[in-house]
Order: sequence, then structure tokens, then C-alpha cells
Amino acid sequence: DSPIQYERVGADVTMKCGSMDWDAAVTWTVNGTDIDESHLNGSYLILKNVDLSQSGQYSCYEGSSWHLKYQTQLRVGTPPKEPVLMCRSNNYPKGFYCSWHLPTPTYIPNTFNISVIHGTKDMVCEKDAIPKNRCHIRYLQLFSTVKYKVTLTVTNPLGKNYTTATFDEFAIVKPDPPESVVAKPVPNNPRRLEVSWQNPSSWPDPESFPLKFFLRYRPLILDQWQHVELSDGTSHTITDAYAGKEYIIQVAAKDTDIGTWSDWSVAVHATPWTEEPKHLTTEAQITETTSASTSSFMAPPTTKICDKGAVVGSGAVAVCWTAGLVVAAYSVLFI
Amino acid sequence: MAAADSPSTALRRRDLCSRGIRLAGKMRADVVDLLDTYVEQQGLDASASVAAVEGVPLAAVERWDEQTGTQRLLENLAAYRAFRALLAQMLEEQREQLGEADAGLGRALAAVLLQVSAFAYHLEELLRLESRGIPGEEGDGPPPPPRLSLFEQKLRGLGVLRELAQWAVRSARDLRQLAKPSPATGTAPGLAESP
Repeated sequence: DSPIQYERVGADVTMKCGSMDWDAAVTWTVNGTDIDESHLNGSYLILKNVDLSQSGQYSCYEGSSWHLKYQTQLRVGTPPKEPVLMCRSNNYPKGFYCSWHLPTPTYIPNTFNISVIHGTKDMVCEKDAIPKNRCHIRYLQLFSTVKYKVTLTVTNPLGKNYTTATFDEFAIVKPDPPESVVAKPVPNNPRRLEVSWQNPSSWPDPESFPLKFFLRYRPLILDQWQHVELSDGTSHTITDAYAGKEYIIQVAAKDTDIGTWSDWSVAVHATPWTEEPKHLTTEAQITETTSASTSSFMAPPTTKICDKGAVVGSGAVAVCWTAGLVVAAYSVLFI
Repeated sequence: MAAADSPSTALRRRDLCSRGIRLAGKMRADVVDLLDTYVEQQGLDASASVAAVEGVPLAAVERWDEQTGTQRLLENLAAYRAFRALLAQMLEEQREQLGEADAGLGRALAAVLLQVSAFAYHLEELLRLESRGIPGEEGDGPPPPPRLSLFEQKLRGLGVLRELAQWAVRSARDLRQLAKPSPATGTAPGLAESP
């Protein structure tokens, strides 16, 4: 393996052909392709103002014998800019994690080193296997007013840089968004939507460290959100929805006492229940349906009695109001 | 050895805990407001680091989740009794320093002092419920601290209020732990002592 040579973007690079004299006849190649003599000064290869595309394997061969006299891997890159560091506790009170990245790529390998100090005490931030740019710490103390100081240093062959973050235990607490958000219409209630969700699974002890929630919803056709803050419970009924309009709904979570709000959950869509139109399509379709379900009030999902757009809800609750009446009437006859 | 809870004891404990949690929440909100006022009116830098002050109970605790219920109650009680004395002293110093010029700050301090006293009493109630002897308060209290300069007084006040704000959060958490029914015995976790 040939040695690696790192150079900054924009630098002028001079390569010597090993121990060959300046006036020796040589041929330079890059990645197996001959390099034009205009880049040579004697036997030296001169690369001015190098750019990223000039990274590669450079080889120098003696003129007549074609012996390989020198070889190097050139890697063009940049020294690191100040890294971006973020620390957060989404599993309070167990611990917190810090993650980082570089604002711009360096195109060469970087090494990151992180140190965490709590007052005068050094703490170990255990690096995660995946993702690589993350480490986590277990809290040894809770309810401390002493701040944590995290220093991240990034080093590569062309330079180094660092950043620090100082924070207290409470400030970085930010749960993950609520999970499994579900919104359903409420039968026979054209202005209601029932929303339920679960605590984020990363929050270890919701009983001792309860979360409060923030719900936002709006009809797709409007830009303005409605907001509801809920101090406990993982469900809520919206009672002022516009009839027949599809809604978009999201939920966020926060520890009841400390920290900041989570990001918004994945958005769910739902449309409130609407009353079915009174007319039916054909007599034949009614007969087909009622023979299949004589004692059930629910029409099977594939029923064609209703127009697709007139069926609301999902699964077992999907029912055409008038079809249900017809079925019920026939059921009574068969009892 | 503790006997299993009677239903009425369990109910009373839960009631005291939920009221205590609400008290702690209100207290914390008021202390945080008071901190803002205090920093502004005392001309302090809000981000100033204050070294741990002698006599101020630190909320920081290791292995918090392993504490027994009794430990939680006793540590909380000791802390709020100390805060009661510290706030009373701050109020006194406040009056000496500024007289009537800063009545608002004085009133806010007095309101928090009242809540701290109420919370201490609440904790005593919880301890009584567990048939625990309530530790007596030390005779005349600790010896009076050396006379501090005005600036040192202000910094100590900052330290006191900051720790009190932490304690208010911790207390709410402690009471929630206390209120949890233990699955096996029906007693609150940690309140049953091993023989």
C-alpha cells in the first residue's frame, strides 16, 4: 500500500520521483493514466491549485526501464470547520446523548474526540456503534445545578477544530414525539374526531416522569392550526371539526416540569363522520348484501351500496347509514 | 417491619401526595419568577456560577431511583426546614438593605417562604401517616453564620433560590414515587422496611 499524502484544496503540490535526480527522464501517471509533460519540472511533478478531482494514485516510472520509483495516494481535502454539536436527553432520567457533524465535508478521514465534565468530574461518553457520530452518558446525579460542559474536538491530517456546549440537566430534556397517533371519526357525530396516541417508547418511566401533550389540527384546506394543551392522558376528542372536511393532526410531548417540547409526531389524517345520502343505487345490490349478512348491522367493506366517497371511517366502523337500516329491517324479518 | 397499608391509609397517602405535587409545582413556578426578579433587582448576572453555599441543601442526589420512601420524606423535610430558615434570613437582610424601596421583592420572598413552610408541614403529615417519628428541629438552629458582605449576601441568595427551584422539581418526583402502589404488598415502594 502506497503512503497517503494529504493536501489542502487550492494548494500547490510538488512530488519528487523518489531518489531520482531532477534531470532524470521519468513518466508520471495518475490512476494508471499518463500525465502530460507540461506538469513536469524536470522529474518533479507540479500540481498547482489542486482540487478534489485530483485525488488519486500517483506513480513515477523511470524513463527507459519503466521501473516504479515512487508511488503515493494523494488525497485532496480541507481542514475541519467548527463542528456542530447537539446534546439532548430523550430518556430522562436515565441519561443523555450528544451527536455531532461537520457543517461541510472535508473529503478526508476525520477523528472525533468528546469530553464531558460535570463540575470538576470527568465523565465518559460511550460512543454508539450506530450512528457513529453519537455517544451517550448515564446520569450519575439527578437534580444537580452544576452545569455539564461538553467539548468536541475534530482532527484530520490537515488541521483541527473544536466546539463546546454548556448546559444544565433540565435544559436538554426533550422527549421523542408521541407514537402510534390514531385519529378516528366518531359515529353519528359530524364534528368530532377521536385522537389517541402513546408515550414515546424511549421515555423510560412515564409514571414517575409524566409527559404532557400538545395537539394541533387543521382542515387540509386551511393554513391555520388549532391547538390544545393536555396535562395528562393520551387521548382527546376534537369537538369543533368542520363537517366533512379532511383533517391533519399532530401531537407533541414534553415532561410536565422541565425541558422542551418534542418535535411534532407523524401527521395523521381523518375526516369526521358524515350522514349518508338517503337514496340507494340499485335494488339488486341491496339483495346481494343482505343475503350475506343477515344478523349483522355492519355491511362488509366491499359493499357497493354506497358510493366510495360516501363511506367514512375505516375497518369495521365503515358503514353506510341507510344500508345499515335496510339490513336491520331485513334482519328483523328473519329472526 | 411495616404492616400492609389499610385502604384508608393508602388513599390518604395518595391524596397527600397529589396535593403535595401540586404544591411543589406552584412553588417551583413562583421560585422561578422570584429568581428573575431577584437577579434583576440585585444587579446580578443570571448566568453567574455560584459555588455551593454552606448550609444550603443541595438537591443533587446519586442513585435517586434507589431511595426508599422514608429517605425521600426525611431528606425533603430536612431541606425545606433549612430553606425556611434561609429564606427568613434573606427576608431580614432584604428589609435591612432596602427598607421600603423594594417592597415587591420582599413580598415575593415572603410568599415563597409561606409555601416552603406549608410544604414542610405537608411532609410532616406524610411522615405521620407512615407512623414515622418526625425528627425534631435542632434547638436554636445552627450557629449564626459569619456576617457576609452585601455582595456575598446577594450571591448566597441566588444560590438559595436556585437550589430551591431544583428541590421543588425533585420533590414532585419524590412524591410521585411515593404515590406509586407497590404491586406485591400494596404499600408504597420503599416505605416497607426490611426487618
